This record gives sequence, structure tokens and C-alpha cells, in this order.
Amino acid sequence: MQEPRYYDIRHVRGSSTHIDIDNGVVESAGTSFFDTALIRVLGNKGWGIYSVDNFDPESGSLDRILEDATALASITREEVELAPVKQATIKMPPCTDSPLDLDMEEKTSMLSAVEKAAKIPGIGNTRAQYSESSKTVSFDDSCGNEFDYAMTRNGFSILAVASGNGSMQMGRERYHTITGFSLKGHEDLGRKAAETAISLLDAGAAKGGRMNAVLDPELAGVFAHEAVGHASEGDLVKEGISVLKGHIGEEIGSPVVTVVDDPTLPEWGFMPVDDEGTAVERTMIIENGVLRNFMHSRETLAVVGDGIAGHARGEPGMVPVVRMSNTFIENGDSSFEEILAECKDGIYLKGSRGGQVDPGRGVFQFNAEYGYIIRDGECREMVRDVSLSGEIMQTLHGIVLAGDDLTLNAGFCGKSGQTMPVSDGSPHVLLKDAVVGGHV
Amino acid sequence: MCKGPGGFSLPEDSMALADLIIRAAKEADETEVYISSGRQISAELKRNLIGISSGGESLGIAIRIVKDNRIGASSTNNPGMWRECLDAAVESARFADTQEWGGMPGQAELKAGIHTHDPDFVISADCAEGLIEDLLCGADEYPSADVAGGGASLSYGEISIANTSGAGYSMKRTLASASLEAIREQSTGYEFDTTVNIRDLDPRKTGEKAAFLASESHGAGEIETGRYDVILSPLAASELVGGIVSSALSGKNLHAGRSYFDGKLGETVTDERLSIYDDPHSDSTGCSPFDADAVPTRVNRFISGGVLESFAYDMKTAYRYGEETTGNATRSGPGGAPAIGMHNLKIEGARGDQMAGRGVLVHSVVGAHTANPLTGDFSVELSNAFVVDDGTFEMPVRSAMLSGNVFSMLKETACLGTDDRNIGNMTFPSIRFNNLHIIGK
Repeated sequence: MQEPRYYDIRHVRGSSTHIDIDNGVVESAGTSFFDTALIRVLGNKGWGIYSVDNFDPESGSLDRILEDATALASITREEVELAPVKQATIKMPPCTDSPLDLDMEEKTSMLSAVEKAAKIPGIGNTRAQYSESSKTVSFDDSCGNEFDYAMTRNGFSILAVASGNGSMQMGRERYHTITGFSLKGHEDLGRKAAETAISLLDAGAAKGGRMNAVLDPELAGVFAHEAVGHASEGDLVKEGISVLKGHIGEEIGSPVVTVVDDPTLPEWGFMPVDDEGTAVERTMIIENGVLRNFMHSRETLAVVGDGIAGHARGEPGMVPVVRMSNTFIENGDSSFEEILAECKDGIYLKGSRGGQVDPGRGVFQFNAEYGYIIRDGECREMVRDVSLSGEIMQTLHGIVLAGDDLTLNAGFCGKSGQTMPVSDGSPHVLLKDAVVGGHV
Repeated sequence: MCKGPGGFSLPEDSMALADLIIRAAKEADETEVYISSGRQISAELKRNLIGISSGGESLGIAIRIVKDNRIGASSTNNPGMWRECLDAAVESARFADTQEWGGMPGQAELKAGIHTHDPDFVISADCAEGLIEDLLCGADEYPSADVAGGGASLSYGEISIANTSGAGYSMKRTLASASLEAIREQSTGYEFDTTVNIRDLDPRKTGEKAAFLASESHGAGEIETGRYDVILSPLAASELVGGIVSSALSGKNLHAGRSYFDGKLGETVTDERLSIYDDPHSDSTGCSPFDADAVPTRVNRFISGGVLESFAYDMKTAYRYGEETTGNATRSGPGGAPAIGMHNLKIEGARGDQMAGRGVLVHSVVGAHTANPLTGDFSVELSNAFVVDDGTFEMPVRSAMLSGNVFSMLKETACLGTDDRNIGNMTFPSIRFNNLHIIGK
């Protein structure tokens, strides 16, 4: 049996807690446990990888697993090299009011308060869900690097459904954090979700077509993530399925566009070290319209270059791949009023129901929760079910103004069958000649 | 027999462990134990070379208890922790509100002959490598397209469920899958397939289709904004129609006031030629003789001849609202707890040549998950769309959005193709719709 060139072990153990309150009824509230390890072996050519539930490092099973993984690696043909990187862990951000200090009763009653706040006249159904995950990550590799850290995440969402005028509409709010207890002081989000749902009952359908669009920080954040972030992931660049491949140093957007991914920020996408032991650092993707860096793992950095490693992330027991962390468009210097005035006639898109991108084709789509028609530089009537799509390169040149009110929002990103906590954000931006999808 | 995680021998130990837990759960009125175990091997392409070969062993234990009409649940993947898991399930029941409850189901006769696994299945790296070779061979048919990635995987699993009412079932499940992503300059193509039987998997065809899509989408042109007849491929139809319809058919969503079909029972809700039903018994990757509540599955006709006839229920929702479970519990709730889901949702209707005449053929869509589940409204970006005339590909469409309402569309289907394809928990054919709104140039 060939000796592996390198191996690492990432063992993740922990528990997850959830509470689900549907229309005033506590449907379920409980805790589950997980324990999974991923062992990666670099053979003569590529990776042999083994995942095992309930891994016991003391049981002597590691030798057998390393052998199996090395045997698996023998069918690989791609010659994988790992770039040398700095290996270090940064401190966890301080956490006030850890949810671990509270019992289930308190959590349930606080979630119930959020749900009750959404029960205003006109609301037929409310659903509040809380989730909390607490994990310990242990990593060591064949080069002697070793680290352990513990991390707790928690957050909630509230959905309110309004019925009337023969129609049904929903409003949804959520809040997730790593630095405190999400439910504390956020009852108002229940009412906010309810008010949005009720307002939408009277909102008309938007007229689709090309127009100027003002994106709120949440939706512009989704743009930063979907349109810029994914196309800047080193694995997609390496495999030739990113439109940004080969454009480092080129002006790919308007000078007001600066996009950053920063895993060191104490936001939802924070990580103290990445999942192959690489130190994390702020990565400038686009600086004043010029493409500067791709996000990398050790493997993609070695092949592609032009960027920064420390972006490899994997779910427990799953292969780390290049992922975003906290991705955002940097502040510009325009006020919201200036942005509306410059837009003159168009649409103001608010909130996000999610998005998707085909980075190879350079085409993205995402959906706003609602919007307002802008006429003569002022927000007028509300519209529902509006979406935005376009080509990445064209759209980056179409962003002509960026506001000074950067805000980050927590969310989850799916790629390679894995879901990762991320945050994305932006100030308000003005996008000229956007493709808006509507129903008229 | 493989040796499982932590020395747990699979799968003979599953029922013994389930019995042990059930006997230990003295504090509970009723207990259910669900154990899944499996192993898998996969190979992943990086461009046209295998870059990663992986294997794995998985184990999951989910415990659900009922005490004083309160339901509690927990799960773990460490069999050594089953006592903590049981305690957590009992503790969990303290916080749940009480609900109408009529007891867990006892042992029943299951539908025989449901094909959930392939006895000839071999899980080996060599076999995965062979599937990859076939994928690449298929992609070679369109040399103008490059392979960007892809993969093949083989998995074997066993599921056991047992409860205090005496139900105890086991099931083996095998899955083989292959996928390929191809690119020609800025035109991408992606195709995949998953089957229960290894002999039903055709990686050569999957590879060829992905490369065809990338190649044929090259040199795309713009189309004018307007109304078009649109043919959704089985993939696009399941992405766009399947998810929204499944959500509206959930008994849970109905009683919570979150279903578009609320108040429409007995009414005509789709084209009168359409029927929509869940068929857990016919061959598909979601077929199963029993559901996640240990209830025997059955064929459920939700919409017949356009008329809404019933909704999908799991045991918990059915007891609460005085309905009967339809055997639609799937492990899709928080912590792997049972929740309402489809096993193999199908659509039946007037079959015909969906490609007859002019139209826009849509292979898949970008952003289907952003559709509004309450109203059915959506606007999505097209992916691998072509202007077609009597089956002839006239022009690939560069970039355009399709917008509409799923429920309105189902009232005006032109015809269903005969190319039914199983994708996850659905089996859909191509569907032709008249007069849909496309936002193009």
C-alpha cells in the first residue's frame, strides 16, 4: 500500500435544538445529537476520502480507515497539489447571553412571544421556528497541525400568512447570530412579518421588463453572493465554469462596485479557521470595479493562483469545498434619497426569497419579497412577486450608485449538496437597465 | 456484511437495538425507533479526470415517544448514546403541546413486490470508475463541449422501524447515480440520473445529453418579450410544478391556512384531463412499502379528472384534524422527524406529441425555489431553452425569464409527453403549456 502524501481528520460532534410553533401550538421542541468524522487522504494523484459516523479516535479504527481511503485514492487521475498556507486559528468573537445558558422552557416562551406578536387582525396563520446548533470541531493532519474549537449558532424565523381579497400573502422575518441569543429583544419581528403580509394583499402585480431598479441592502446582498461570490469561487474557476475566469486585474464592473468576502467578521458566516486548517482572512474580490482575488482552498489556490485560501468549508462528515462566508458590497457615498432621485422612474426591490446562479453562463435570478414602483424619484404603490435576473458582467457595469448604509443579513447557501451558514449584505444600490420579472 | 461505525454490525443489530430501546422506554406511553444504516462509494470528476474518490459509512437512530398525548423526538448517530437520545426524546415531549392521538400503528400486511433495491448491486470504486468512463464516453459525442465536472455514486442502505404497537419493518435501498456538467465557451449543460437498479442507469446517455445541451446552447440569440407556447422538460416541470403542488396538497398546510387548495375540495382545480397522485408502489427512487410512521403506503389520488379529491396526511396531522393518514410521512421534519411528504408524485393526462408546432423548449429553470408557494406565482430564469418547431431546434435562447402562475398553468395544459422521468420523489413527463409570458429582449 502506498503511503499517503498527506492526510487530515476533521471530527465534528455536537447537538442541535429546535422549536416549532405553528399557529400557537408547540408542534415539537427537542434536541438531537451528531458525531461525524471526515478523513481525507492525498494519494499518488488525487483524494481518497472516507466519512464515518460515530468516529472513535481511540479505537484503532483510524489505521483501517486510512488504508481504505488510500485504496480509494488509487482510482483518481487528477494530480492534486496543495498550496502552502498559513495555519492559524483566530479567537471566537465574544458571546453575550449564550443560548446554552437558557433552558428549553425560556426559549419556548420567548419564541411564543415572537409568534404572538405576529397575530394581528388579518393574519390567519403564523409559524415560528427556532434552531440552535452547538458543535466541537477537532482537526489534525499528517503535518502535525492540530486545533479544536467550539461554536454555537442560533436563530429564528417567523412567517405570517394573511388572507383576504380572495388572495393569500406571506411576510417572513428572521434573525440569526453567533454572538448572543437571537430571540432576545426581537419580538418586534413578528409584527413586522405580519404587517408585510397584510400590505401585500393590496399590492398589485409588477409589470415585467427592462427598467432602473433600486435594490435594498438585503437583495443587493443576495446579488453580491449569487452573482459575484459564486463566480469567484476558486473551484468553479479551476473547472472552467466561471465567467470571471481569466479576468483578474480587469475592470469588470463600475467603479462604485467593491465586493469583499470576510470570514473574520463576527457575523453569521464567521469561522475561526477554515475546514482544512488554513488561517482565514479578508478577501477583496472586486476593488472599485476591478477583479482582484478569487476565494480558494489549498488545492484551487495551487492550480489557479490569483487569490486567497482559507475559504474551504464542509458540513460535518462532508468534503470541504470553496465557499463564501460574509460577502458584501462595500459602502459608497450616496444617500438613499440621492439613489431614488437618480433612478427617477423604475422599481424599488425589497427583501429576498432566495436566488440562484449559473456561474458558467454568468446568469443569475433572484426574487424580492416585494417592491414599490418609483415614479419621479419617489416610492409609490407596492408590488408583489417581483424578481430580477441578468448577466453578471452586464449587471456589474449597471450598478451606478452605492449607498452609505451597508447592512449584513444571515442566510444559508447551498452548493455541492451542502448547506452553509453565510451572511451577505450591501448598502442600497441603483442598477440601471435591470431585467425585472413580473406578471403583467 | 459490512462492519459498521463504532463496531456496530449492520444491519442484523438494528432490530435488536430497536427492541432494547423500546423495552428501556418505561417512562413513555408509546415508543418508536427508526434506524438507518448505509455505506456508499463515489467518484467525482474534476474536468475530465477523477479528482476525488470517496467512501463512507453512515448510521442514524431516531427515537419518537408519546407520553400523555405529547410527542417527543430525538436522534443520534452514535449507538452508544441511545440512552441519552431516549432521555432527550422524553424530555422533548414535555414541551410539545398535547394533541389528539389514537396510538401508533400495529403490524400490517405490506404491499409485496415493491422494488426498493437491486440484489445485483456492487459497491466498489472500480464500479464507480466504470460509470465515470461511460459518462465521459457519452460526452465525447459532442467534442465541442468540454467536461467541467460530474460524478458517479453507489449506495446501499437499510432502514428499520419498530414501535410499541408491534409494527416492525425493514427495507433495503440501493441507489446508483451519475451526473455530468459540460461547457462550450459560456454555454453550460447539466444532466443527471439516479436509479434503484444499476442496470437501469445509462451514464453514457447522461453524459451525451449534458454535452449536447452545452453544445446546442452555443451561439444563442435573444427572443422578444411576449407570449409563447412553452414545453417544460420533465426536469423543468418537476422543479416548477412539482414543488408548488406538493406544498398545496399537504394536509398540514391545508389546516394551517397555507394551501392554495384550501376550500377547494370537490372543485375543479386543474385541466379536467389531469390527475395528480402519489404512487409509492411503482418503480422509482422514492418507492416504499411503508412510510416514516410505519404505516403501509398506498396510492393516493389527490386530483382526479381535474377535481381536487384529497390531501396528503401523516399520522400526527391526521389524528389532530380527525382525518385518516394517507401514508405520506417522510423523514423530512426537524432532526429527521416525520413530516408530510410525497414518495413518488405523478401526473396523468392527455398524452400527445408535446413537440408538435412552434414553441420554446425549456430544459430547466434557475430559481424555482423562489416561487411563491401560497399563490403559485413565479418568475424564473430559463436554462438551456430553445425555440423549436415540430421538434427541430431552431435557436438556443440566450437569456430570458418565464413568469406565470403554476395553478393557472395547470388549468390550461396543452398536452403531456410520453417521456416520464423519475426525479427524486416525483415522476413527471414533459408538459406543453399554451400562451405563457416570457420576458426576453
